[in-house]
Amino acid sequence: MFELDEVIIERRCAETVLARRIVGAIPSGVLVREIDDAREAVLPARHASDPFGVGKRRMVVCRRKSPFLMACPAGSAKFACCGYLVLALASNCPMDCSYCFLQEYLADNPAFQVYANYTDAFGELDKLAAGSPERSFRVGTGELADSLAFDSMTAMSRDLVEFFSARENLTLELKTKTSEIENLLNADPRGRVMVSWTLSPDAVFRACEHRTAPPASRIAAARAVLDAGYRIAFHFDPLIAYEGAERDYLELIDRLTDSIPPEKTSFVSMGTLRMTPGLRAAARRRFPGDPMLCGEEVLGRDGRLRAFAPLRIRLYRALAERFKRAGAEIPAYLCMEPASIHERVFGDTPAKPAIIGQRLAEA
Amino acid sequence: MDEGSRDALLSVAEDLRLRTGQIVTALDLLDEIAVRERVPPAAILSREELRRIIGGSGSGPARASAFLISLRSIRYPRLAAATEELRAEISALRLPRGVSLKLPKELGSDELTISIQAGNPAQLERAVAALTEKIGGLARIFDLLGGRG
Repeated sequence: MFELDEVIIERRCAETVLARRIVGAIPSGVLVREIDDAREAVLPARHASDPFGVGKRRMVVCRRKSPFLMACPAGSAKFACCGYLVLALASNCPMDCSYCFLQEYLADNPAFQVYANYTDAFGELDKLAAGSPERSFRVGTGELADSLAFDSMTAMSRDLVEFFSARENLTLELKTKTSEIENLLNADPRGRVMVSWTLSPDAVFRACEHRTAPPASRIAAARAVLDAGYRIAFHFDPLIAYEGAERDYLELIDRLTDSIPPEKTSFVSMGTLRMTPGLRAAARRRFPGDPMLCGEEVLGRDGRLRAFAPLRIRLYRALAERFKRAGAEIPAYLCMEPASIHERVFGDTPAKPAIIGQRLAEA
Repeated sequence: MDEGSRDALLSVAEDLRLRTGQIVTALDLLDEIAVRERVPPAAILSREELRRIIGGSGSGPARASAFLISLRSIRYPRLAAATEELRAEISALRLPRGVSLKLPKELGSDELTISIQAGNPAQLERAVAALTEKIGGLARIFDLLGGRG
């Protein structure tokens, strides 16, 4: 169980199912209080030496006023994108990866927010599905938060699985770095739910991925949900191009394919570490001793730092070839990379985002 | 930064008469090298390749510039090696005057910029012919930019 300092509940949400579940599951010693308006509670604790870190330990149960469904914030016409749709049911994450983009993205509202009216999202999803019944959509909850962290308290996954299992052209992707899968094992996804894990070698896990489950536990959890009827996928993202990275990532793929037959994996994604200079500065301030934040990244045309092109293309290609050699053609895509890099790695022109999205939803 | 490292950097800054911006750059590079290699900045500054520049005979500004370039090569060792290899390949092409190849800034992309300067059709024809003749070498450069080699 992740640690919280306090749980703040917006008064109008106090009687919601979500608030009651959370209050019922809070460990003793965690302060719970109600407030009229959550807007102040989500702001950074300016007096703290690490406002973002403080925000992670303050859970705020509140209403979401904006739409839940949105295009992936990483999407851009400059990149060969995957057509991923994001369902924002929570904001921020109790884990603390040194490279996480949320350190910049949520710097002004870092509290760990969970939205008590999350079932309102179902209306948005039904509208999406009904609007294009011929298309398949892949919708994920793991962009602005980890999909399963705190699921033992919120049990959101149960409602989500129930909803998606009855929708033919919607696929839910639960993206996580945890092994919190207990709620999933008791539900029937009917092929409509995919669980995906970010996978990193032990060196990256130890240096960067604080409070996450070890890679071996993530693979074991993936095996368990696969056996329970879920589709599974893996994100090698961020790939960090440290010295020895190629050897470590290939070894990780071997460990993965030893546990999970490649043909059982719906897709893999890859994306090297990318940071705006602002994110890099924030990350270095919070994790000054992390060597993974001092790699050979250079500034690209889109204003982000990435491993210089030959280094990262080589790494992508090595991983793609290893998956190929493992014996199955696993659908793969690159995150936040232009079409030219995609062509270098896979040898073909990437399809349009909507087509890729459709393929991944059906993979 | 530990006291020994501060003293070592101050000594270098005085020897090379580093400007404020150069000191900031050196501090950042030293800090990141120290994190990457888990060694104190004083140990980095005592390396032979840097001592040679610091104690060298050139002008202060020239040595300051060379010092920062060398420090940057230590900070980005694989980028420095890849850039050097690509520059050597370009140089080996011996392209005629009016034809030049430019590597992407800091190898941030995989695209090569090829420039032709021509004053008349004959010059243009000669430049294109020279490039066509060197296509094998150019392909090797594209391969290197694409992480092969």
